Amino acid sequence: MAALAALLYPIPFEQSGYIYYETVGFLVLLNAMLGIGWNIIGGWAGQFDFGPNIFFATGAYTAALLSIHFGWNAWAGLLGAVVVSVAICAAVTYPITRLRGHYFAIATVAMWMIAQPIGATWELINGSRGLFIPVAPGKNLVHGMLTMEFPGRGKGLGFYYLALFLFVLTLLGARAVERSKWGFYFRAVHDDQDGAEGIGIDSRLYKVIARCLMAAVFAAGGVLYGFWALAVFPDQVLEVNWNILPMMAAVVGGLGRLWGPVLGAIILIPISQLMTATLGAGPLAGRGIDLIIYGAVIMLIAGGRPNGLLSLPWARWAGRLVGRAPAGPAKG
Amino acid sequence: MTLLLQAVADGLQMGLLYALVAVGLTIIWGLMEMINFAHGEFMMLGMFGAWGLSVLLGWDPLITMVPVAVIMYGAGVLVYRLLMQRVQRGEVFTQIFATVGLFFFIQNGAVAVFTSDYRFVGKSLLTGLSGTNLTLGGVRVGVPLLVGGLIALAIFLALYLLIDRTDFGLALQATSEDRDAAMLVGIRPQRMYAVAWGLGTALVAVAGVILANFFAVYPQAGLSFTVMAYAIVALGGFGSILGTLLAALLVGVVQSVTAAYLPPAFKDAFVFGSYILIGLFRPQGLFGRF
Repeated sequence: MAALAALLYPIPFEQSGYIYYETVGFLVLLNAMLGIGWNIIGGWAGQFDFGPNIFFATGAYTAALLSIHFGWNAWAGLLGAVVVSVAICAAVTYPITRLRGHYFAIATVAMWMIAQPIGATWELINGSRGLFIPVAPGKNLVHGMLTMEFPGRGKGLGFYYLALFLFVLTLLGARAVERSKWGFYFRAVHDDQDGAEGIGIDSRLYKVIARCLMAAVFAAGGVLYGFWALAVFPDQVLEVNWNILPMMAAVVGGLGRLWGPVLGAIILIPISQLMTATLGAGPLAGRGIDLIIYGAVIMLIAGGRPNGLLSLPWARWAGRLVGRAPAGPAKG
Repeated sequence: MTLLLQAVADGLQMGLLYALVAVGLTIIWGLMEMINFAHGEFMMLGMFGAWGLSVLLGWDPLITMVPVAVIMYGAGVLVYRLLMQRVQRGEVFTQIFATVGLFFFIQNGAVAVFTSDYRFVGKSLLTGLSGTNLTLGGVRVGVPLLVGGLIALAIFLALYLLIDRTDFGLALQATSEDRDAAMLVGIRPQRMYAVAWGLGTALVAVAGVILANFFAVYPQAGLSFTVMAYAIVALGGFGSILGTLLAALLVGVVQSVTAAYLPPAFKDAFVFGSYILIGLFRPQGLFGRF
């Protein structure tokens, strides 16, 4: 039923012309996807990663460069971006897995801080002037899906379904990992690193694998965002929100639960978007009223439900509604 | 050579100011292991306190330090009691989430009240002294920054004595190391956490008051200092107050020496690069106990 709702969601807005809501849907799916990626290292492997956006940026830049200089199709660019990001992630992450806990977290922040001046000055990626992705207007929706280039009016709808496709792919991939050997190793490293090493799990290797899986998801997200925005600027792709929002989505929904980041993104993104749209305008525009309320809502959720919203007894409530015994977790 | 010496001298002074921003964090994060994303926002409130009292009542920031410290101590305790005490029951990550909310709340509250314009503390004892320099062997040391640095040093030493040499400090450390054992010997952990939040918040607000003498006052002023402060506490090592001080001085020197010889855009990158490099050899930070 959720799948049907996700598929049909943009149709009424497409009909009535409120394309803005398609963009909200696109951002929800993008952040949910990134949140699932972040959940792999943050929730399962239990490593604080405050700087995942460097892979978002790497992905966006790689696909843009491949498109500009070699005329690669967006999907080929996406594959290339994932490969490059994973390679870079493995190279830079292995050394810092010597660091644990907070020390590891600050090392990921440090990488983000180092990436910022590189992004702003490196000539290959045009420094702070940014890269513009040359796209020809696509012919129709199907052609658009294959090239990430859409005719003017279909763009909102097209990118919604592109995001939905990548989101479902990420979700299925994460579910497969969760049930695999890797998933158990990640959680073993999280629960008791020394104990995991004692039974022969190379904790440093599995931390690197977990972060590389995250990097792959962020790279794909970056490509999608780049083709959506038609340009890649260092301060946009390295923006702090790409670090914070996916992480917050995972935490608010329920850390370490497959559907946690999805629920979190469904709650957090529309609230912020709708409040910006309604309160951000008008007589008090630019005074940040929307963000004050947003901050208060976040604190209420955190204080009221410190273990995430999926920790609520959803199954029991659902059971009571239809009048039968609880049937396992809320969603599979 | 003089260029290098000058850069080192500048760096040490800047380092003392960084130390001041980081010292509050070393209590809340370094000692009590609670994450506070809104640390820099308390600093920003301190800066606005200095600016506001200077404009409204003509108070010098050196006087403003006292009321700001008292008020912000209360604010810190309140944040712990109303928010963080509940949040502590959940995953560690929830602390990040909750304090990101606090960050949005405070920063945009300041935008709503003061707008995002840059403001400056016009007349104060320290800005009045600007242009006065001490010269030592060809190296110039600005008096205002020197005074600011000395205040920072004094606060630091007082805190070091409080944490490392008094029963109260021992109780704080005991709470962070083993909550249950601390309860057994009659320490009330939540009270300790509340005091730590009060102290940490008051200290960073005082840092803001001093920094308002040298830097523009605006709602987003806190972030760059906070990121640096987090790196400094981790570089110094968890639970070590003197480690934080030395790390702050090191960061100041690295920053100003790189800025003297290399493109200035990279000065922060070099600081964070040295954090990673040092971390590879000392994964517990320079003086960390855990």
